[in-house]
Amino acid sequence: MPISKLALIRSTVAALLVGFAALVAIVVTTLWLVAETRTYTELSVAVRQQRAALVDLRSLLQDTETGQRGFLLTAEEAYLAPYEQARRKLADQIELVRSRLSGVPAYAAQIARLTEIISGKMVEMQQTIELVRDGRRDEAVAIVRTDRGRALMEEARGIFDTLITSAERRIGESVQRQQKTIGALYWVAILGALVIVGVVGGAAWMTIGYTRQLVAAQEEVRALNAGLEERVAERTADLGRANDEIQRFAYIVTHDLRAPLVNIMGFTSELEASLVAVRSWFEKAGLPADDPAAEDARLAAIEDAPEAIGFIRSSTRKMDGLINAILKLSREGRRTLKPERIDLGALLETSAESIRHQVVEAGGEVTLAPGLPNVVSDRLALEQVFGNLLDNAVKYRSPERPIHIRVRARPEPGQRIVVEVEDNGRGIASHDHERVFDLFRRSGAQDQPGEGIGLAHVRTMVRNLGGDITLESEVGRGTTMKLNLPRDLRKVAKGASAAVGANGRESEREAR
Amino acid sequence: MNQNAKPVKIVMIEDDEGHARLIEKNIRRAGVSNEIVPFANGTEALDYLLGPDGSGVVSAGRQLLILLDLNLPDMTGIDILERLKSNQHTRRSPVVVLTTTDDAREIQRCYDLGANVYITKPVNYDGFANAIRQLGLFFAVMQVPEAT
Repeated sequence: MPISKLALIRSTVAALLVGFAALVAIVVTTLWLVAETRTYTELSVAVRQQRAALVDLRSLLQDTETGQRGFLLTAEEAYLAPYEQARRKLADQIELVRSRLSGVPAYAAQIARLTEIISGKMVEMQQTIELVRDGRRDEAVAIVRTDRGRALMEEARGIFDTLITSAERRIGESVQRQQKTIGALYWVAILGALVIVGVVGGAAWMTIGYTRQLVAAQEEVRALNAGLEERVAERTADLGRANDEIQRFAYIVTHDLRAPLVNIMGFTSELEASLVAVRSWFEKAGLPADDPAAEDARLAAIEDAPEAIGFIRSSTRKMDGLINAILKLSREGRRTLKPERIDLGALLETSAESIRHQVVEAGGEVTLAPGLPNVVSDRLALEQVFGNLLDNAVKYRSPERPIHIRVRARPEPGQRIVVEVEDNGRGIASHDHERVFDLFRRSGAQDQPGEGIGLAHVRTMVRNLGGDITLESEVGRGTTMKLNLPRDLRKVAKGASAAVGANGRESEREAR
Repeated sequence: MNQNAKPVKIVMIEDDEGHARLIEKNIRRAGVSNEIVPFANGTEALDYLLGPDGSGVVSAGRQLLILLDLNLPDMTGIDILERLKSNQHTRRSPVVVLTTTDDAREIQRCYDLGANVYITKPVNYDGFANAIRQLGLFFAVMQVPEAT
């Protein structure tokens, strides 16, 4: 299942939010439950203390009664010791109970009653003890027999039982609640852990899936790239081979054409030299009157043959020019390029300098855009290319306006640059835009000397540099030559260097 | 050309008959009257220069000056040059390369292999005739060693 980037981001954010929410919930519930537990613990501690205080008070009260009864029976002071001890502690214990139970208003009435009972009981017991000490034991027994003390004691016991039972019940409740909150804490922790594990697991799964997709996509891109590079290399090699083939063909053709031309020219000269001898004979001997063919022969030697020889010569000279042009082209294509770092601005400045006086004389100007880049290329080829383009701009200027030539460059993707040479000259008709780059082809009015070699030569050189040249032009407006060049010739020179190597071998074959 | 008893032979290896004829004419015009032995292909020329066994013994005692074209139908002039200059009998014989090729690498290669002179045939006939005539004048004052 493909995972889109957006989906990944969305689900990751959602997972993060859910995980965060779960964490917050766990933390909040835990804090709350801990607070609850503390409350219940404090409560139960308090209740236990209440219970303890009540139990102590009850024992103290019982101790006093026990001491009193012993004294009543024996009248010995020794039995009175527990009574006295308990009696001393009693007031403090009551105070303790009162303070510990002060937080529970429901007990206030019972505690007040308990205090009353205890003081009543204490008064009764003190009375009986005093009577025994005075020897009036019967009176003391009579007081006991009234059962008032016993009733008080019974009531006190009842109150104690109620209070203690209630405390115990509250302790039990508190423990139960504590257990409940502990249980809740346990479940919240488990649930939270599950949620977090789920979120982390989901996120991890998504991430792994997405990463796998990325890796697969990368692999695919790499494979495609490799294929593409291979294809480009193949095409480049094909082009290089085709180019080599054409150049070798041109080279062979020109050489083979040259050899007969030498003969034509050579023997034409020989013929001419022979005619000189014939002509001087006619001049010396005069025209023999008896031979009617003599006049024809004289005319042939003096007029027809020299005329024919003149045509042969001019034609061979022209042919020689054409052959030389092709030869130059093929030689340029075979020249070993020397890539070096070239400041295009400086190179163009030099080229512009050589035409500047012509331009300035015609009232025009040449401007180079600032910041022309550096390239690694063949200096000689670039000098010839720009020299040729600038010469053309001057040569084919419009007579109607002062000439303006502008040169600028801009970067192109793929480590390339485009250099534009723009003029406001006479322009090139659209049907000639490609044709002007052909050998021996020219455009427009044939009012300038030239053989139609320049632009063909330029295109060959530019292509040799791993570039291309095209033009944009409008008749009467001007022409912009666009050179697309690699920034670094060495990086595109793979095919070119192979071609150079091949050329080296071919030149041996060509010499055959 | 040389005052020694044995006359210097000019061996001309040139496949184009017209060129051969023009070269001969112009050398003669320079006043060189030595025998010119023409060959139109490399195989025959090598047979003559190195013998059918290719040892070069046949040339021992000859005084040879070789005019060599590079564009031959059966082999390149460079092959011939290489064999002549690596043969102990013919290596001292002067070789004048006379060809249409003016490729810098080719020229370099010929001199590397031991060519003594490299001349490009001018297409323009006056230039051509002039060059050959001057070559003839050069031949007239040149000393040619005897092959050993």
